[in-house]
Amino acid sequence: MTAINTYFNKTTSAAPLAVFRICFGLMMLFSIIRFWANGWIKSLYIDPSYFFSYYGFEFVKPLGNYTYLLFAICAVSALFVALGFLYRYASLSLFVSFTYIELMDKSTYLNHYYFISLVCFLLVFLPANCYFSLDANRKPKYASKLIPQWSIDSLKLMMAILYFYAGLAKLNSDWLMHALPLKIWLPARNDMPIIGPIFNYNSTAYLFSWLGCLYDLSIPFLLWNKTTRPFAYATVIIFHALTALLFPIGMFPHIMMVAALVFFSPNFHSRILSFISKWVRFEPNAVAENSLAKNPSFVKPLFILFFIVQLLLPFRHLAYPGELFWTEEGYRFSWRVMLIEKAGSIQFTVKDSNGNFEVVNPKDYLSPLQEKMMATQPDMILQFAHHLRNKYKELGYAQTSVYADSYVTLNGRLGKQFINPNTDLAKEEESFAHKDWIKPFTDEIAGL
Amino acid sequence: MNKIWIAFLTSFGLLSASCSEKTNTKKDDGNGLDRTSFLTFYADSIIRPSYQNFNSDFQLMRQSAELFIANPNETNLTNFRNNWASAYLSWQSVELFDFGPAEKITLRNFYNIYPADTNGIHANILNPSNTLETPVSYAQQGFPALDYLLNGVGSNQTEILNFYTNADQGSKRTAYIKRLIDKMDLLLSEVITDWNGNYKNTFISQTGLDIGSSTSLMVNGLVLHYERFIRTGKFGIPSGVVSNGILAPNKVEAFYKKDISKSLAQASHLAYINYFNGKSFGSNQEGSSLKTYLDALNAKDNVSGKNLSTLINEQFAIVEAKLNLLNPNLSEEVTNNNSKMIDVATEMQAVVRMLKVDMSSAMSITITYTDNDGD
Repeated sequence: MTAINTYFNKTTSAAPLAVFRICFGLMMLFSIIRFWANGWIKSLYIDPSYFFSYYGFEFVKPLGNYTYLLFAICAVSALFVALGFLYRYASLSLFVSFTYIELMDKSTYLNHYYFISLVCFLLVFLPANCYFSLDANRKPKYASKLIPQWSIDSLKLMMAILYFYAGLAKLNSDWLMHALPLKIWLPARNDMPIIGPIFNYNSTAYLFSWLGCLYDLSIPFLLWNKTTRPFAYATVIIFHALTALLFPIGMFPHIMMVAALVFFSPNFHSRILSFISKWVRFEPNAVAENSLAKNPSFVKPLFILFFIVQLLLPFRHLAYPGELFWTEEGYRFSWRVMLIEKAGSIQFTVKDSNGNFEVVNPKDYLSPLQEKMMATQPDMILQFAHHLRNKYKELGYAQTSVYADSYVTLNGRLGKQFINPNTDLAKEEESFAHKDWIKPFTDEIAGL
Repeated sequence: MNKIWIAFLTSFGLLSASCSEKTNTKKDDGNGLDRTSFLTFYADSIIRPSYQNFNSDFQLMRQSAELFIANPNETNLTNFRNNWASAYLSWQSVELFDFGPAEKITLRNFYNIYPADTNGIHANILNPSNTLETPVSYAQQGFPALDYLLNGVGSNQTEILNFYTNADQGSKRTAYIKRLIDKMDLLLSEVITDWNGNYKNTFISQTGLDIGSSTSLMVNGLVLHYERFIRTGKFGIPSGVVSNGILAPNKVEAFYKKDISKSLAQASHLAYINYFNGKSFGSNQEGSSLKTYLDALNAKDNVSGKNLSTLINEQFAIVEAKLNLLNPNLSEEVTNNNSKMIDVATEMQAVVRMLKVDMSSAMSITITYTDNDGD
């Protein structure tokens, strides 16, 4: 117990947290601008006529044209977080607005958006504005040079969990023994200048699979350790630069490259801050050397609970029968990144008790992205089936039944029927229980 | 702590060593994985010659149409009809190129939207300034409209000839035929000029697989074509498979000519198979193709060990066998033997899935612009 108490009483420089706040805020701002400029607000959140809510968050819906306002709030909050201006409100508003955006439609789920939401949550409670911020300059009594060590460590732990669990998820036979899905994805890049031709070799896919797995499992420790840190950071740059070149994963590689700086020493961050200070001509007010930012007392237990949940949540798939990659029960929120090449095609037949029936092509209701995501994810298939049930009820169908005719391929296996075609999906209810109308996976993938 | 580093470096080293051994023994050197080669082959040995061939059949039809318009008699009508039928058959070998130039001007909309809108056609004859550019007008032009004008405006040869020799309206009616053919000719020449000019180089040089690249446009276009126009259009709609079991014998292709709907369907299906397998136009020579690319990717069913391309070809063959069972007049089949039509649609659905899901996934074809982390 004393060791634990000693740890929680340790303090450290506020500089790394200040740098993290600035970088994270700016990257968020840039992400939102990029998202907006690409026209994705319209194509993802305004154009579609139907949205896939998360279970329990059905009230979170896009807001029509006000969705732009939501993104604007998110962008301004990100800027304020970067500046450390009205930080408590800005960080809360950033967390709420960003998380709201992510909850609007399941089909846009990305692990790195989830990561950002979690970091935003942590930032709400961290004293990230106590140093090198507009707040600290405006209200000197909140300014301090030191923060509890665990404040900055919680961010490191969050990153460590992301990497390590992403590594654990790769410990399966498809990834390690068959180099899947990289064996499918890499040849698609064989026309890249210079390095392209190496992707014609299967051995490249194996090498990348093994190195990727090893990287994910070891990088948190190598970054945490002072001796290995420079080497580890170099591999962070190489690894993420390569993934950015190879795959359409947007901002994620850049965010991770910048976020990994959090592992560096206070001295390193002080140098960054003095560089910024000269560059933007911002002079932080003088603060007493031993001034310490205090976290409210509820934060410590809250964080402990948060991390216990984080450590357990990715294992929830163990509670479900069947192959995780096939059923995807417990797949999200578990750092399973770039693990599967899955594609499907699905048609629905809506019937009623009077013998009316209609074959529905989801294309008529969904965007290409939504259709692609729905075709391989049972919970989304069920949601869409219910949507059809309700639609046809409005059209005068009596006692509507909805059946799915589906076909899914996973990591290059020949496509198979995915959903039991005899199950009336209109009568199935969403829950955390296993969906026994998913047809069993006919192959075996060994591992975690 | 240095130990971790050493262990890490060693494992990197071991791994690269073990893999470089593999590299030396592995035979695949990128042969067959070069997308430029199949793009080039498709452009030079299938697409351009097919358009060329279609164009000559089309010009024959155009010439006989001109003779008929100048002199609407029985001989000229018969010739025009025959040349219309062969041009329609030849069209089946180019309709599938619904990407690049043809997709840009939506060639298909002006060539083959059926069933023909007969009321619209009559209205257009009366009023030659009616537009032929709007979606509503698509079913008033192209081969289906000519089908109606050549085979459907009377119940026998004499009645049809009378339609055009009518003192009052005859010249307006032939003028509409000319208008339709001129429009088709203009659009076709645009597409051919594009393929013979700049577009070919664009097509060959966009070797990526992201959205907008040639392979992605081509595969998405081909898959859509099979699903929507071969399966749904020719079989799904007439047989009621995609329309709530409502039979629509009047919605078959070339409804008024009656006896060529099966051969049109067979021609389009064969053209599709040949394209997949990279069979040069007009010869049996096979070149780089989707088949060879899938084989080079080693796309196979790990249960049976069969290549995906073999499985796709087997399914193509099943469809062909089902097609062979049909009588020449698909409209009659819908009325008398609809289960045979449904069989074709069902087996075609299996092809659709293999192309859309298995092939596209094996090739890593992208369908959206948005970020993705592969889950």
